[in-house]
Amino acid sequence: MADKIKLFVNGVEVEVEAGKNLIDAVGAVGIEIPHLCYHPALGADGNCRMCLVGIEDGRPPLVPACKTPAMAGMKVLLDAAHIKKIQHDVMELELINHPTDCPVCDQAGECKLQDYYMAFDQAESRMNVPQVVKGKKMDFGAGVVHDQERCVVCGRCVRFCRQITKTGELGIINRTDDARVNIFPGRPLSNRYAGNVVDLCPVGAMTSRDFRFKQRVWFLKKAPGICHGCAKGCNITIDHNREKYKDDIIYRFRPRLNEQVNGYFICDAGRLSYKAENEGRLTEARLGNKARPIDDVLAACTREIERAEKIALVLSPNCSLEQMAAVQALAEKLGAFLSGYSDGYIKPGDGDGYLIQDDKAANRAGLGLLGIDCSREAFESAVQQAQLLINFNNDLTRSYKESDLKKLLQGTKVIAVSSHDTPGTALADLAIPVASYSEYAGSVVNCDNILQSFAKGLSKNNDLADICAIAVQLGSPLGSPKERFALLQQSISALKDLEPDKIPAQGLNLNDSEAANVTA
Amino acid sequence: MGAQVKTIERKGSSLQERLYLPEIFKGMATTFGHLWRNLLDNRKLYVRHYPEVQPEIPVRWRGRHRLTTHEDQTVKCVACFMCQTNCPANCIMIEAGERLDGKAEKMPVKFNIDLLECIYCGYCVEACPVDAIRMDTGIFSVTDNNRESFVLGLEELLTTPGAFSEEEYKKGGA
Repeated sequence: MADKIKLFVNGVEVEVEAGKNLIDAVGAVGIEIPHLCYHPALGADGNCRMCLVGIEDGRPPLVPACKTPAMAGMKVLLDAAHIKKIQHDVMELELINHPTDCPVCDQAGECKLQDYYMAFDQAESRMNVPQVVKGKKMDFGAGVVHDQERCVVCGRCVRFCRQITKTGELGIINRTDDARVNIFPGRPLSNRYAGNVVDLCPVGAMTSRDFRFKQRVWFLKKAPGICHGCAKGCNITIDHNREKYKDDIIYRFRPRLNEQVNGYFICDAGRLSYKAENEGRLTEARLGNKARPIDDVLAACTREIERAEKIALVLSPNCSLEQMAAVQALAEKLGAFLSGYSDGYIKPGDGDGYLIQDDKAANRAGLGLLGIDCSREAFESAVQQAQLLINFNNDLTRSYKESDLKKLLQGTKVIAVSSHDTPGTALADLAIPVASYSEYAGSVVNCDNILQSFAKGLSKNNDLADICAIAVQLGSPLGSPKERFALLQQSISALKDLEPDKIPAQGLNLNDSEAANVTA
Repeated sequence: MGAQVKTIERKGSSLQERLYLPEIFKGMATTFGHLWRNLLDNRKLYVRHYPEVQPEIPVRWRGRHRLTTHEDQTVKCVACFMCQTNCPANCIMIEAGERLDGKAEKMPVKFNIDLLECIYCGYCVEACPVDAIRMDTGIFSVTDNNRESFVLGLEELLTTPGAFSEEEYKKGGA
């Protein structure tokens, strides 16, 4: 734990962490200092002047909170008349050339300018000269649309491209009221994290082409989740909404702060991976290629399982630990071989050492922890010997060409327990639809051995069963979440003394826990 | 808090009342008195001769909705969803899209109002920042025989004219 110091805000004593600037230190105890240009990931820039606070008996008496470290005994003034005047005046300055087109602006509802206007300004504009005309609806590339008129020139996007992605596509050109953010001619945003500038922008200057005009943000329900796009397991907010007469669908993924995993950002591929949760889903149970009620198909599966002498099971590396445990128990009961073969999920050379990983599966580490075999030889020989292959959401077409897969599966009946209607699912003799990762709760272990739990994000009109439930219906003995967690506790020592709901929100670092267990 | 009991005096127990017929004739005298009086001269009747005589709709009457247009007949609505957000009956369903004619950035590609669910409160009109939705068509009676036809679309909302002149409407307090 960091050292604590005591200081005064508006005459009230508060205890804050030492070594932080005033915005972060005071913000952590719930006192908000307004700011536009400061962002914890990008550092203090001090250009917006919105965070000016008074320091009683201080020299200078007026400081930008983003650049001022919290010191013991400091007397910070936030609600003095002269500070309020400053905040009001800064807001008035920001709004001089702002088009105030909130009705058509996607940021409306999560806009700092709106929030601060309501909190600090609430005055009519005194301007009677025409506003400065700047570029609108500019295509910055990478799905980012820029509106120069809405911009408050805080420079967060510029600093992001310089400091985080180190690509520097954006710059601020011109001065004073003519200052604007722009790309260099012919060189659009072209980094794999560009979508973050949309989240970083405190106003509606940066909007996402993908999300543009799809929803007003106040309609969206926010559910915390874990991105399953790669092995990093970035923390995301799932913004979803059920429109009248329609199904609950996801409109966007936004990064959610987790210092231990992804920090403040996510990659663009992960950001757009919400589309796969809405589209291309397997929604009906199939017998052959005919849709049948799920109970009929499950009964047919049970018959197939009884008939088959040798059974092979294959598991997706995207499955949660709980699902893996349930399927593992099923394999043990059936005396079947369980494989986690999924080399096709790895894209060598795609990772960049920041967030994006080569491995496009969210829980490969979980396969290792549970001791599930992942080798190709073992999988192929098991499939060749088996009369029945039960595939739990593993998209084998990622690992095999379709013709090779057909050859491999010759003479083997396939039950596909699948969330998506992939070409591999189409090859199966029986198909059972299951929930995808935004629709079930579970936990995954990422590439850095951090175990993270996530809750069910949304409920579809026609809620599909989780793989755990299907495994139980097929005969897995682990009927309840408690039993599944108990099995996980056996395999993962770090979970031994934990309750399922006691897994920290930031994730449980298994490396630390392993080390702790060894020394103890 | 005990309930207050008030005993009402029961009528109809006198001999004349219990004889029944005298009371019937008294009642009938009143009824026929009105009938003859009104047959001879109906000017004093407090009844509107609807539908022969249509009611006079004041400007501030909240009738069926319409979407207003710019002078070149293009839609004024910018699909800000304020009306949908405010609608207590949740009867407005909008889908937004890109607008390319330069009048605004955004416009509705779908704008449905389900009149069966609408409670005619007028909150949508008050919420609209660009005066795009009004309830000044003077249409107070919407009838049909299937549910679907009560869902007004963009086309229908745009083509229905207002029943009042601009000056009258503005005077009405809009």
